Amino acid sequence: MSALLPPIRIAACGTLTAFGNETETLAALLDGRHAFSLVPVLGRDGGDPVPLALCADRSYDETVPPGWLAPLTALAARIPGQDWGSPRRPVFVTSSNFGVGSLHAFRRTGDPAHLAYGTPARCVEWLATQFNWGPNITTFSHACVSAHLGLLQASRVLAAGLADEALVFSFDFLSPFVAGGFHALKILNADLPAPYQDRATGSIGLGDGAAFAVLTRDRGDFTLAAQSLHNEMHHFTANQADGSGFAACLAPVVTAAAGRRCWLKGHGTGTLEAGRLETAALSRHFADAPLVSWKGGIGHTLGSCGLVELALATAAIRAGRAPGTVGGNGPTFTPNVALAPFALDAFDSVLCTSNAFGGAHAALLLSHV
Amino acid sequence: MFERWITALHTEDAGLEEPAATRERFKDRFPKNATRRMTQLGLLVGASLEPLAPAETDTLVYASAFAESRALEGYIDSFPSASPTLFQTSIHPSAVQQALIIRQQAVRQFFPLTGGACLPAQALQTALLAETPRVLLCGGDERGTWLLENAAASGRAFAFALALSRTPDGAIARLTLAPADITSSTGAPFDLPAFFDVLHTRRAFAGDIAPSLRLTLDWL
Repeated sequence: MSALLPPIRIAACGTLTAFGNETETLAALLDGRHAFSLVPVLGRDGGDPVPLALCADRSYDETVPPGWLAPLTALAARIPGQDWGSPRRPVFVTSSNFGVGSLHAFRRTGDPAHLAYGTPARCVEWLATQFNWGPNITTFSHACVSAHLGLLQASRVLAAGLADEALVFSFDFLSPFVAGGFHALKILNADLPAPYQDRATGSIGLGDGAAFAVLTRDRGDFTLAAQSLHNEMHHFTANQADGSGFAACLAPVVTAAAGRRCWLKGHGTGTLEAGRLETAALSRHFADAPLVSWKGGIGHTLGSCGLVELALATAAIRAGRAPGTVGGNGPTFTPNVALAPFALDAFDSVLCTSNAFGGAHAALLLSHV
Repeated sequence: MFERWITALHTEDAGLEEPAATRERFKDRFPKNATRRMTQLGLLVGASLEPLAPAETDTLVYASAFAESRALEGYIDSFPSASPTLFQTSIHPSAVQQALIIRQQAVRQFFPLTGGACLPAQALQTALLAETPRVLLCGGDERGTWLLENAAASGRAFAFALALSRTPDGAIARLTLAPADITSSTGAPFDLPAFFDVLHTRRAFAGDIAPSLRLTLDWL
């Protein structure tokens, strides 16, 4: 829990999804659109069709250089300021994939050029060169809560006075490597995701995603008012059946949210058991707060989802309107799941949550100053 | 400058040992049947962490440059019939999760890092900024096969775990981390194997471990 931290400001943030930037993505979600296409899970090698939300004009199969470099470079060009990666302006890179799909491509093709992006260190060093960043880069990887770790550690570095500003940068792009894994786990099938919907079979959709946030102590009109983590270590792919892991993560944030008028941006991938536990835990404390998931529109952006959806939440707050839970059409696990867009005039904060393998949970409270 | 005290340390230097040998060596350290499913890195990290008795109130920081290299190799080679078990096992930070799921040991704050030449510096800074009274810092890598041949895996297997405290009671070493002159030479990269060797041999150390960070380590 970060109760000891002073509130940290967000001076700038932005995102990239299959729809485009945060403005384009917000508009699409408000329209209730999804970005999925059914794509053979193994790419050029075929396989079952699965719903993937890929950025435009890039190959799903790995290329040299990776096809995601161009859109990621365009996103990085929007980051304000200079000297990122210098001693007083650290960078916190988070991802669950990095360029690991390139290792699969190397094994499949024998082309050693793919190796330049395959390990996390090589991938980040290569990106740092592309983006002209210095060496002060810390890299976290904790599956789908990765971005939250970057936000929390960047906040700590700022609170300790070790930096003037901090950049959190997250990216996850799909490949046969990662989609093949989720398909093998039987949670990625031909169905489109319907987060929080009470139906017979759960399913997720995966999406390309990247985002950045510039954190400061005193600049910007959004505040990270609280951040919380919890790791159940109960099972690799399941949560404690009593929902205690969700509750443990939420507890400190519930305290910080007292007196605030919150709406909820949940994790909501479309799996059934996790969806039931998440909605129950959130409803216990925020029964009247509208709850949304956007993964039915943009897909699950994996380790970057926490930052991608944070950027979308800030865009929604600026626009005064939050997208509903795209992909769902009821009945939902709890009555507070919002399927349609809603106005944000009555709210001053949003609680954003993410979950990951190993029963990892993360939450943050975002307030508009 | 940050100052912390190392109150416990455990290291495992498996070197060039094959996973099967590591598994046999640790078969009595973990519940029956568990070692069969664990990776070499999971065994080594688990054996290093276990004496420190991780608790929910600890902050746990984990550093690995390559993580589960053998599971990653196996997962990639399982295509086109991708293995769900190897996919799940290959995901960072599987090694720590293997060890703690066996113990059903929740931990509130868990920071898994990866990286290259400055990984120990980044992990130490993460550990030293943690809010909890006790912080566990662990790490390691396992030896790859075809990934190693392509410089995408570690050439040796090793793991360590240490406990950091804000007070010197019962300490075995004093550790400081301070800003360094950015123009000073960092010398040889202080990567994870280099940090492991300092810990394993309990060698005193004073030097730049990143362009702007200086580490001192004095054994008591």
